Amino acid sequence: MHDLIVVGAGIAGLACAQRAVELGLRPLVLDRSRGVGGRCATRRVEGQPVDHGLPFLHGSDVGFLSALDAVPATQLAGWPERVRGRGTPCHPATQSPRDRKLAFAEGVSAFPKHLAGGLEVRTQAPVERLEHGPAVVLEGGDRLAAPLLALALPCEQARALLGTAGDGGPELAAMSRLLDMMGTLPCCTVLAGYPLDVEEPAFDLWYPEDSTTIQVISHDSAKRAAPRFRVLVIQAHARWSRTRMDQPGERWAHELLDEAGRIAGDWVRRPLWSQPHLWRHGRTESAGDLVAPVLLPGGIGLAGELFHAGGGAQAAYLSGRALAERLADGGR
Amino acid sequence: MEEAPSLDDLVARDRDHECEGFGRDRVCVRVVGVADLPSRFGRFRIVAFWNNRDAKEHVAIVHGDVLSGSEVLTRLHSECLTGDVVGSLRCDCRDQLEVALQRIASSPPGLVLYLRQEGRGIGLVNKIRAYSLQDAGLDTVEANLALGFRDDERDYAVAAHMIHSLTVRSVRLMTNNPRKVAELTRHGVKVASRVPHVIPPNTFNRFYLETKANRSGHFIDVTGKPHMEEQGEAVVVDEKAS
Repeated sequence: MHDLIVVGAGIAGLACAQRAVELGLRPLVLDRSRGVGGRCATRRVEGQPVDHGLPFLHGSDVGFLSALDAVPATQLAGWPERVRGRGTPCHPATQSPRDRKLAFAEGVSAFPKHLAGGLEVRTQAPVERLEHGPAVVLEGGDRLAAPLLALALPCEQARALLGTAGDGGPELAAMSRLLDMMGTLPCCTVLAGYPLDVEEPAFDLWYPEDSTTIQVISHDSAKRAAPRFRVLVIQAHARWSRTRMDQPGERWAHELLDEAGRIAGDWVRRPLWSQPHLWRHGRTESAGDLVAPVLLPGGIGLAGELFHAGGGAQAAYLSGRALAERLADGGR
Repeated sequence: MEEAPSLDDLVARDRDHECEGFGRDRVCVRVVGVADLPSRFGRFRIVAFWNNRDAKEHVAIVHGDVLSGSEVLTRLHSECLTGDVVGSLRCDCRDQLEVALQRIASSPPGLVLYLRQEGRGIGLVNKIRAYSLQDAGLDTVEANLALGFRDDERDYAVAAHMIHSLTVRSVRLMTNNPRKVAELTRHGVKVASRVPHVIPPNTFNRFYLETKANRSGHFIDVTGKPHMEEQGEAVVVDEKAS
């Protein structure tokens, strides 16, 4: 029925499936969550889009940029323009003048939604284990088989799934060992809404240099045409997030709001509404990216942000496409 | 390149240098600093280069009068922290570098281009990850591909531009790899001859001699670690001198 099963409907998985279709394959995309896009995520809060994963998209690759330009949404070219603070950005290239930056008024998830258009995607379909063949077994017992399998997942999840496949020989052992040397970073996030009569924050993105708690505050409602609320998205440093990630979100959300209030003004402490969100695999370490997708014996491939130089959504996109090309080419 | 009377004048000459660049990436370099560098191998001068493509700070180590020089003894060396600094036995980089410096010291004019392309350009972190895979007995194609190890695709455009910047007219290239000759020639460097880069035996390269019988296969030194040809060429040891 399908030629290719793609596990993970983030940018890498969707790009892989889209390229596979261009090459004449019939892919099926699976994702454990309710929507597509992974960390390229937008949540609607009382009708207003809020980007609670990556706040904007950036890149320099011609193919990636033209894919962004093809998205039927209101492009906010150059966003963020008002960048404040000398703290560490989430990704080194965000400040590079070579990278084009943009967001969408409808939310960054317009990009993955557009990529998913025309693809067969099954959401809320968590994969429990792999079998030789290859095949995937979903939680609940459904078994899906296809000649080719792409894992477009955070490296810990890919590593865990590879471990369920049994003895895969030296190639699989090498990949597992390589993935063990890498890892993702958690990111505690709070979405906070305020009435429109609070003062208009004079920044789009703020990387506070004096906080060990907060990495970035995104003035999310600055991206919306007619916002009902002022919205800030507050994202914590990985190290801080690591120490909180096993606690309920309500417990660390107020800590983040307090710290954001210290940085950006007292009003930030008292939102009309707030929602915590934990990105268990929020970011990748920037050191020593791999440079190519991987093809293991038995038609199993790995792609994702880590498998292309530079990191970020652009790396995920390019890595996904490169994997589809290698899979379609029979692994050469 | 217009001629300059001395190495130090290259900095002023290059201050606003801009050219269409060399190679696929159109790389362009400028000489940005020159100093004396007395070393245990000889009294050298060191020339620092800036380039328009990345933050890698390539240098040339120069002995004698290379400006407008012909048949300048030349070696292209790729940075290898583990070999060059620590004397790693997983590669032959330190020996290759020492021999090159000794040769240019004894027969000027000569130059060693020290190119900051660690681990064949994949970087130190990924090179160490590759070593780690090998430690586990793994040397598999896909992992190496993901790490960036593939057939040597090094770009010699930077080296060619550096040689042109030093106004060198022709080089005698110390290498065992004919491809380096072809690549430099392609970028307009006149290679007058190729000088085999032969390592004399000493206490420290004993392991090459002990394993030379094994050379055709997978290269493992006496420490049991797989051997890497990080300089992109096979090591040749002068057996007559042993």
